[in-house]
Amino acid sequence: MTYWNAKKRHDVTRLTAAAIAVAALLLPALSYAATPGITGTIFNLVASPIYITQPDGAMIYSWGYGCATGFTPSYLPPQFASVGFCRAGQVPGPTLIVTEGQTVTVNLTNNLPAPVGNTSIVFQGFQVTTGGGTPGLITSEAAHGGSVSYTFVATTPGTHAYYSGTKPDLQIEMGLYGAVVVKPNTVPAGCSAIGSDTQLLGHPDYRLAASAYDHPATCYDREYLFQFMELDPRIHKQAEQQVQAIASCVPTAGGLPCPTTLEVKTEPYHPSYYLINGRSMPDDMDADYAPNYPNQPYNGNPHMHPGDLVLVRTIGQGRWEHPFHEHGNHVRILARDGNLILSQTDSAKLGGRMEFTTDTYPGQSYDGIFYWSGKGLGWDIYGHTPANAGNPPCVPDSNGYYTAASGAPLSAPNYYEWCADHNHPLEANPVGHVGGGGPATLFDPLIAANGLWYNGTPYLGPDAVNRSRGPTPLPPVKSTMNPLEESGIAFMWHSHNEREITTNDVFPGGMLMMMLVDPPVFFIDETL
Amino acid sequence: MRKLFPVCLPILLVCLATTVPAQSNKAQGGGSFMVQCPTSTVWHPGSSVLGYDPTQQEGSYTGPKTVTETVNGVSLPYTLNGGAIKCQEISGGDGFMTEADGNQTFMFSFGPLSGMDAIKHGQPGTQFASVFNNHYNSPTLPSSPNSRNPTYDPSRPVSLNGAVADPAAIMTIGVLNGNLPMPLAAFDEDDEFFLTLSNVGMIMRPDLFEQHTVHFHGYPNASSFYDGVPDATWAINIGGSATYYYMAPDAGTYFYHCHITPPEHLQMGMVGQLYVRPRQNRVPVGTSLYSSLELQQTDLRTACNTGLAGQTAKDILCSTPLPGVNNGAIQQVDPFAGVDPRIPAGTPYKYAYNDGDASTRYDIDVPIQIHGFDPNFHFVGMTFNPEGFADMKDKYFLLNGRSYPDTVGVPGYAGGPSAGSSNPDSASRAIGTEDSDGLTRYSQPLPSLITLIQGERALLRLSDLDVTEYQTLASLGIPMQLVGFQAKLLRDQAGNNLPIVTNSVTLGGGESLDVILDSTGVAPGTYFLYTPNLDHLSNDAENFGGLMTEVQVCASASACTF
Ligand SMILES: [Cu+2]
Ligand SMILES: [Cu+2]
Repeated sequence: MTYWNAKKRHDVTRLTAAAIAVAALLLPALSYAATPGITGTIFNLVASPIYITQPDGAMIYSWGYGCATGFTPSYLPPQFASVGFCRAGQVPGPTLIVTEGQTVTVNLTNNLPAPVGNTSIVFQGFQVTTGGGTPGLITSEAAHGGSVSYTFVATTPGTHAYYSGTKPDLQIEMGLYGAVVVKPNTVPAGCSAIGSDTQLLGHPDYRLAASAYDHPATCYDREYLFQFMELDPRIHKQAEQQVQAIASCVPTAGGLPCPTTLEVKTEPYHPSYYLINGRSMPDDMDADYAPNYPNQPYNGNPHMHPGDLVLVRTIGQGRWEHPFHEHGNHVRILARDGNLILSQTDSAKLGGRMEFTTDTYPGQSYDGIFYWSGKGLGWDIYGHTPANAGNPPCVPDSNGYYTAASGAPLSAPNYYEWCADHNHPLEANPVGHVGGGGPATLFDPLIAANGLWYNGTPYLGPDAVNRSRGPTPLPPVKSTMNPLEESGIAFMWHSHNEREITTNDVFPGGMLMMMLVDPPVFFIDETL
Repeated sequence: MRKLFPVCLPILLVCLATTVPAQSNKAQGGGSFMVQCPTSTVWHPGSSVLGYDPTQQEGSYTGPKTVTETVNGVSLPYTLNGGAIKCQEISGGDGFMTEADGNQTFMFSFGPLSGMDAIKHGQPGTQFASVFNNHYNSPTLPSSPNSRNPTYDPSRPVSLNGAVADPAAIMTIGVLNGNLPMPLAAFDEDDEFFLTLSNVGMIMRPDLFEQHTVHFHGYPNASSFYDGVPDATWAINIGGSATYYYMAPDAGTYFYHCHITPPEHLQMGMVGQLYVRPRQNRVPVGTSLYSSLELQQTDLRTACNTGLAGQTAKDILCSTPLPGVNNGAIQQVDPFAGVDPRIPAGTPYKYAYNDGDASTRYDIDVPIQIHGFDPNFHFVGMTFNPEGFADMKDKYFLLNGRSYPDTVGVPGYAGGPSAGSSNPDSASRAIGTEDSDGLTRYSQPLPSLITLIQGERALLRLSDLDVTEYQTLASLGIPMQLVGFQAKLLRDQAGNNLPIVTNSVTLGGGESLDVILDSTGVAPGTYFLYTPNLDHLSNDAENFGGLMTEVQVCASASACTF
């Protein structure tokens, strides 16, 4: 511990240039998300052995909750009725969507292999009564082939976790977890009821409810649910091998008996997959219920228009914390574990923090509101300049945006523009048909590399992109991730414990998704 | 109805590198380096409109002012709030740093190419335009021992904080000059900030033709274009410069880092600190802080329409609600101004946020960034081998790029290096590291020794860019007052302050918070900030060190080692 005993740096033996692993990853195009799930008051679930897939090609033996044979659930949002499915097991388990005040019954049948033993479900934040089953340490359990039922009243709105209460270090790791979403049973003042949001211009409404809670400060325009989980493939491999070994074991005459139960080591814990809704990037950006993930139906692929209030529902399902960084703006935390956080002196006002990196703790859920508006950039996000004839107007409402409150037609291409920057150019010199006069000299585009979600310009929307590309468009302007007709602007949402944005040691992967802010009149079809 | 058009995508870093070859060697000669810092903009048109010269000073904050300017022949209204034009230049490349156990570690890193003298002395490298544009000129290179600068122009005056603008000089000075953390940036609300990144290449890894970017982590309503995510925007190739442009966001403690292959480039060291000072610092002495915050409600950008009575709209992310009660706080001269040699006479109080009630008042800025290095990963990173990510395990735990006892490596400080030490440099306190070319360059300019005259309040601007695990920092003796969290004042929408008094804070990667250490009534002596993650109190094989630093409280200025 001396101050300055600097050693000479080792002479580095130059090794031969490493083979750079070029993994061919499949990336989806144009898909969106919502908070799909199954709805009702009675859910007949099973726990089953399944395989899930990862982008490196791995098929990972898992256990998942799913729908019992003969149980045909209803899907929400209703636009998913034609594409939704609920097989015998999935990771995460089916999202159970219920309404505040309802009595909910979940009947669980244990279809896991016999050596697994019992399984169960605990529901975080509810007073549960159990029926049938066998007594377990923290709840009643279903023995192999047997059933148990759980009944609770969905007392308050919000997002809750459910997961196995039996050998949770193993069973949750194997995939036995899911979410309960409780919708409010009222429409708070100022929130638009489902089907009455005129800003949708007649397009479908994908929300589950008008608000997250029975409170006017919790209205929202679209919503996403992210369940975070890390996965140690060695645990899954042990479980798979032991189940197979027990099944094929023949006792030797007078020798050792066959084992009958699993002895899976869950420590030391060494995950190498980092999942959002059971998928790793880029699979998480494929569609909800995409047929290539029969046992991982839920995605993570947020899209929004400027000014949309986006409800982000998040649950930490694993044993690790994950700092999730939402590029683009802060998130206002509304609630933790379904408990709305209000000011202590004025219950009309919110009390939750604003965070640009939202901590996801084991077993905890939070609901938060995010939006992006471009306020305060100091330049016009649509590339309007005063010299450009035919620009739409921008009349500020009482918050400074061009909205219906200030006379904007709902179909205005610059709906929700931040008017203080209207007609103020970004670039010092003209680019394409966007005049200069702004503060910043752009770089020589020939010395930059462009990303797959980059629309090729600083601006939002096809009109601005067309005007500002110049006579010789630079690649990539036809990205399937963000095609010209979309011309959104993209932000990365990802775990900031950055090693978790890898899939089994390969970057990129893991807990990573691209959020797109799309132009106001671009229809975001959440079922795609 | 599904549109699944799978496309083949190589690993992004390879894909990006091959999308557009570095094909352009324009007339600039040494690549496409281009440094910019305008002297006048529409937001900062000059002293005739603002009443002060925004290229060399800040003005007082007296509320929004609407003017009309002519752009491309068209009259446009602008709302001006003061502020200045500020610029900074950094290199993106590689370098070496020195661990507290003496080992030297290879980094991918950013280094200073402007404000170099300020950076070396632990100050922010951000400069007013007039300083930045007086380009760097020095007979010696900014390294130690001093060596001749081949790009020196004896016909020009010496300028130590100006930008390095000449392409040859950018390469001469920028190669291997990486710092940990990367150059400190700090500016004021309403400033325009031009950050030029010049990619000088990684000379120790000639096999890589890696881009670098800058992500301004936590900026509210960020643009995608300047967000630095290579998948979402552009990334600059070796031999080129690009300038990031932002109006300063709301006051707060942010940070910045490269966003190319983040688990690799962040672990390798491309991380740094950035904070924004509030308008409230610029309120004239004698003015009510509450009234000044009311003035901010007349500017739509900072108006806090939380849905209070009479407000027709609400903003769920509004950052500066008025305090619930006006406690009558007025702006005044800091009583330590002129007493503490770090605070010039006449300096008014500083605040972490536009609080309107002086609840975030402080005297001394202490930016501290938590980070961790996995020496195996860095070794592999220097040896042309692909690194593993899941096995990453930090063995060095860093506060501002140093582990204990180097965190308090201030020459002349009790128990530290001698007063005449050349490394850390006695004048600047910067640690130098000998690079592969035999030159020693300053690599870690920032000690995190916190020195307070009894009664002073330190603002710990804490951020964490560790890429593997959460870290806790505890204060044994002096309570921590957590007043800001992730660049927002801890206050509810009704205006109630929600500070937390605690003795420890925990941060994950990509998080920041603001803690005030108030030395009022604290007996003079030495106090410790350390991590109760006990395995992080080590420097690789040394079992005592790591994430720890000291707070020195002195009875008077003369008893302090500054
Ligand atoms: Cu980099
Ligand atoms: Cu970040």
